[in-house]
Amino acid sequence: MSTYVNASRYRDVVRYHLVSRFNYAILPWAVLAFVFLIDVLVIELTPAGHTSHRWVGGLASVFVIGFVLGIQSAHRSLPFGLALGLSRRTYYLGTALLAVALAAIVGVLAAVGQEVERATNGWGINMGFFRVPYILNGPWYSTWLTSFVVLTFLYVYGMWVGLVYRRWNLIGMVAFVAAQVTVLVIAAIIVTGSHAWHRVGHFFTTVGAGGLTGLVAALAVVLLAGGFVTMRRVTV
Amino acid sequence: MTISVTGLTRRYRDQLALDDVTVDFEGPSITGLLGRNGAGKSTLMRIIANQEFASKGSVRVFGASPVENDAILRRMVFVREDQVFPDFKVQHALRAASWFYPNWNGELAEALLRDFDLPPNRAIKKLSRGMRSALGIVVGLAAQAEITLFDEPYAGLDAVARRMFYDRLLASYAANPSTVVLSTHLIDEVADLLERVVMIDHGRIVLDATADEVRGSATTVSGPIAAVEEFVAGRRTWDRRRIASQESVVVDGTLDDADWARARELRLNLEALSLQQVMVHAAGETSGDVHERTSA
Repeated sequence: MSTYVNASRYRDVVRYHLVSRFNYAILPWAVLAFVFLIDVLVIELTPAGHTSHRWVGGLASVFVIGFVLGIQSAHRSLPFGLALGLSRRTYYLGTALLAVALAAIVGVLAAVGQEVERATNGWGINMGFFRVPYILNGPWYSTWLTSFVVLTFLYVYGMWVGLVYRRWNLIGMVAFVAAQVTVLVIAAIIVTGSHAWHRVGHFFTTVGAGGLTGLVAALAVVLLAGGFVTMRRVTV
Repeated sequence: MTISVTGLTRRYRDQLALDDVTVDFEGPSITGLLGRNGAGKSTLMRIIANQEFASKGSVRVFGASPVENDAILRRMVFVREDQVFPDFKVQHALRAASWFYPNWNGELAEALLRDFDLPPNRAIKKLSRGMRSALGIVVGLAAQAEITLFDEPYAGLDAVARRMFYDRLLASYAANPSTVVLSTHLIDEVADLLERVVMIDHGRIVLDATADEVRGSATTVSGPIAAVEEFVAGRRTWDRRRIASQESVVVDGTLDDADWARARELRLNLEALSLQQVMVHAAGETSGDVHERTSA
């Protein structure tokens, strides 16, 4: 009984985010189409140079929007969600479910787009819109998986950012970013001190798209857990 | 007990918002949660609705803790003055609400939209303050929840719309008796609605009684000075005013039939204090010792 209630509650959280179609059903795809058109125009208008492919990476726009939607879901949409009688846990997990669904769809789009791009010789103009060398340039299933994982990662990261902002405002936000920068700087200092930069370079060249995807997936799980802990004591 | 609050304390860094509050709300009833700005009304309601956490003490709703409890939370609707909405339209808020409240009444929601002149296609961020309040009221009433918490739901609403809110609240309560808690400082406006009043001041419950008890609890006596003085001799009084040979003074406590007869004999005017007047007095009485308490 209670499992059933919970399952339907998660579905309702997803519907809550989708009740206005604009954010999820229109915005990402409209932006992607717009960026696509702009990229085509730019390629048509600029000389080709010596490379055979012109990598524009337009797919990135949809990932940026995933990040922004993540922030919005945890910041702007949260108070009314709790006012509607949702527990924080249900709201958070339901929203994460939406992130996963959105990421799966974006993954399909990236995989299909990539195949079409290959078949049409880059839309007839050698454009790499859906493909990114090294990262998103393998078989369709690995492109699907990588896109799926990266979008989930960014959305979940956005959720955590939004929650930190809701709980601790600007000061908390600054501290949150500063902490992450500090971790990166400390890592860089350690690597420099142990003269290990060549090993880092070696790691990234040998790990491959699959390995990187696994790494991002692991990070996404960490972020999801961090957001959950932040969510548990959030007030609106 | 529908809502049972025991020893509830909420401490913020520099302020004690709730100080050992113990109070029960039993349905069906309409209770006024009264108090000045910053008295702790919103904090109490937010903790009951799982939007804020207690520092100490406990809240039980339908016998269970509402904290992170979906099964309890869905039986309760909380309408607050400063509700933040996502970037969507009026109709989206109502559609979402219809999924979450098991007793949602769509027809009532439609009717209320018309009553309050709310355009369903308008983006919520483009609504005026009063219209946003009206939207909250529509959600609160159409939810037909077992517990309805209204936290000053009328901000920016004009007198006509407020009257409409009171009427619709009463109608919906008559059709569907439930537990309603209404926090407000427009006390006289809602006086007729309330069966019970709970007053908070500086985070403490200073009064908890039925509305009738409160209404009869103090009376203004006015007339010629000598007659008034004769009548009030030996009683607890406050707010003594004199103009020329006339005097008016408030007498504490309930007057019995003999008192009324005596007053007629002395040709005195007796007038029961309104809820608001009693509340203002209660607030004035407690603020003195509260200052002592906080500075000690």
